[in-house]
Amino acid sequence: MLANDVKRILISEEELQERVAELGAQISEFYHPDSRPLLVCVLKGAYMFLSDLTKHITIPHEVDFMATSTYDGGLDAQGAVRLMLDLKANIADRHVLLVEDIVDRGATIDYLLRMLKQRQPKSLHVCSLLDKPERRVHQIEITFLGFTIPDEFVIGYGLDIDEMYRNIPFIGIPKQELIDRLISE
Amino acid sequence: MSNIILPNSIEEVLATDAVIEENVARIAREISRDYQDERILLIGILKGSFIFLADLARRLNVAHAVDFMAVSSYGASATASGEVRIIMDLRTFIRDKHVIIVEDIVDTGHTLVYLQRLLEARRPASLRSCVLLSKPSRRQVDVSIDYLGFEIPDRWIVGYGLDFADRFRTLPYIAALKPHVYAPESHDAS
Repeated sequence: MLANDVKRILISEEELQERVAELGAQISEFYHPDSRPLLVCVLKGAYMFLSDLTKHITIPHEVDFMATSTYDGGLDAQGAVRLMLDLKANIADRHVLLVEDIVDRGATIDYLLRMLKQRQPKSLHVCSLLDKPERRVHQIEITFLGFTIPDEFVIGYGLDIDEMYRNIPFIGIPKQELIDRLISE
Repeated sequence: MSNIILPNSIEEVLATDAVIEENVARIAREISRDYQDERILLIGILKGSFIFLADLARRLNVAHAVDFMAVSSYGASATASGEVRIIMDLRTFIRDKHVIIVEDIVDTGHTLVYLQRLLEARRPASLRSCVLLSKPSRRQVDVSIDYLGFEIPDRWIVGYGLDFADRFRTLPYIAALKPHVYAPESHDAS
């Protein structure tokens, strides 16, 4: 069912798991063991990455979620998005790590970072599984990065095409026929 | 995971990561077998179920989408009707879809029953529930669980999505908390 629609595996399950473990170790080193960083996951794309990442973070930490959706007609010029779910936690004076699946144009994450900064966290960093620098419009500093990828449409490990393939355990490039079919639908 | 370093607050590990993985794989086989060619929608209830959902979804052999709901109960304890506040509703229309609610734990049963009623009213093609942990001794209402990971005794459980005041949620195993952590001055765990 799934394999037929994937043109090429860009990052295998083993490579992903190895890199996620390394990121978890880096994050555990980066923060003071008593600092209890808050990992903020942007739904839906980052949930699988977050789930694996937390298994490799050895210092006490918490997780919280945000969900966004774009306004009618897409992003406005400032990248403003509608918050469908805001954080439960008060982040003032806390160490916050924003966990993303991919940084592409960077508009949404730029907006979220500006919004979170206003709440005066003690620190604010970004951990992203994937980076597509060719597409970047907004400058984003990614402190913890999994992989830099070319400007291709990717699916899997949280990333979807029309809500499908989000849960395949690797990152793949879908066949053009699949993209065309789903877009025409 | 032979060398678990237990935080001081942990009394006992009830399920290691290997045991959890085995059970999640078993549930995924059951769901894959039951749905086969149907496309399903998995609804993860935040925050507790995200780790379970992430591991379960990867093991399914059926086409599926995921969506999330965030809920919270009114006040400190569940009301008799078990009414919960929907903090974030689904993005997806579920009418005529095959839907599975994915929950980390069923305790009194009120929350799950409430969610089932709420979602039934939207007329999905089918509605089932998939629960990692069940505490049958705490049950106050009958609730149907179609796929279950483990039954557990009435202790405060943390790890693999379950927390105590947002702590211990991401431990890669399921463990019982020492009573003095959650009830420092009394034995009333409610």
